Amino acid sequence: MHQFNENDIGTLLRLKRHEQPPPGYFDNFLHEFHRRQRAELLRQPLWRVAWQRVHDSMFQLNVPTLASFPAAAAAIVALATVLSLKVSQTPPQSDVVGNNAAQPSARLVSTVEKDAAWSLSSPVATRDLGATPFRMAPGTVRTHGTAATPRYVLDSTPVSYEAALRF
Amino acid sequence: MDQPRTDEDQQLVARTQEGDVAAFDQLVVKYTPRLYGLVYNMTSNHEDTNDLLQDVFSKAYKSIRGFRGKSSFYTWIHSIAVNMTLNFLKKRGRRFNLSLDDVDASVQNDKEFLELTQTSSPVREADLSELQVRLNEAMMKLSDEHRAVVTMFHIQGMPHAEISKILRVSEGTVRSRLFYANRQLQNYLEEFRKNPVS
Repeated sequence: MHQFNENDIGTLLRLKRHEQPPPGYFDNFLHEFHRRQRAELLRQPLWRVAWQRVHDSMFQLNVPTLASFPAAAAAIVALATVLSLKVSQTPPQSDVVGNNAAQPSARLVSTVEKDAAWSLSSPVATRDLGATPFRMAPGTVRTHGTAATPRYVLDSTPVSYEAALRF
Repeated sequence: MDQPRTDEDQQLVARTQEGDVAAFDQLVVKYTPRLYGLVYNMTSNHEDTNDLLQDVFSKAYKSIRGFRGKSSFYTWIHSIAVNMTLNFLKKRGRRFNLSLDDVDASVQNDKEFLELTQTSSPVREADLSELQVRLNEAMMKLSDEHRAVVTMFHIQGMPHAEISKILRVSEGTVRSRLFYANRQLQNYLEEFRKNPVS
């Protein structure tokens, strides 16, 4: 009597390829897929739709690739930290204003005396304009439309300013 | 069985990743018949197969942006289908009804079928629908993992290497599962041989 061997099993199983869904099933499958996709989208809460869009845009920007460079991310964080520290360590404006306010009259006198001693025979290069001529600006002078004092102080006058002063 | 052209698939995948929905539709149309056969022969139920297949393509569409082409799209989509079907079968357990598709009339002209009916008395004596039910019952007696291997190898005609990639197991494991499953099927079908029309 014939017994099933391995080949028979294989042959019998291959016949299962002839089991087919109802006619037109594959033609309608795509239509059904679209319909289910739309239905699923409508069922989703708004936040999930928004999240999905953000997620998709991230993929378009290829953010996952960028995120794979932790050194770049660490550098950005370090830079931000250094910048924030610099800003927080800026000296208080009140000190600068206080120092400037205490000295202008004395410096003005000193510069006037020096101007009196100066003559045309003196070489231009030896003229002493004083250490801080721009500090003599009266307190009422407004810069950039505000009453705030300058936040930095020039310790010497640029040479290019001398010609303007003389002529 | 012919392997689909992977370069064509790669182009369709790339277009889908760029937002071309029509390209994904082409992939759906192309792979539906193959995946239908895979899922159907693992579940032996048409309605379950239809639902699962819809879920498979839905999941593939959602995940396709993350597909980097390390494997072919063919392997990738088959992996999704097999894993989702295995998960479904675990949840379904033993409570199910066979809901079989009709056997296409072309089977009567199948060379292998003709040879089998000439040599095998159980096949010769049983009518086609009886044979179909017996075969599916025997398949459903296998474990889910063994049935998956049998389906891919015998019915879908996939090579061992491809099956091992899809299941992420070694080729040795595939061969071992196949050997064991064949033995099991032989035993189950012996009853059919002894009592073909009961």
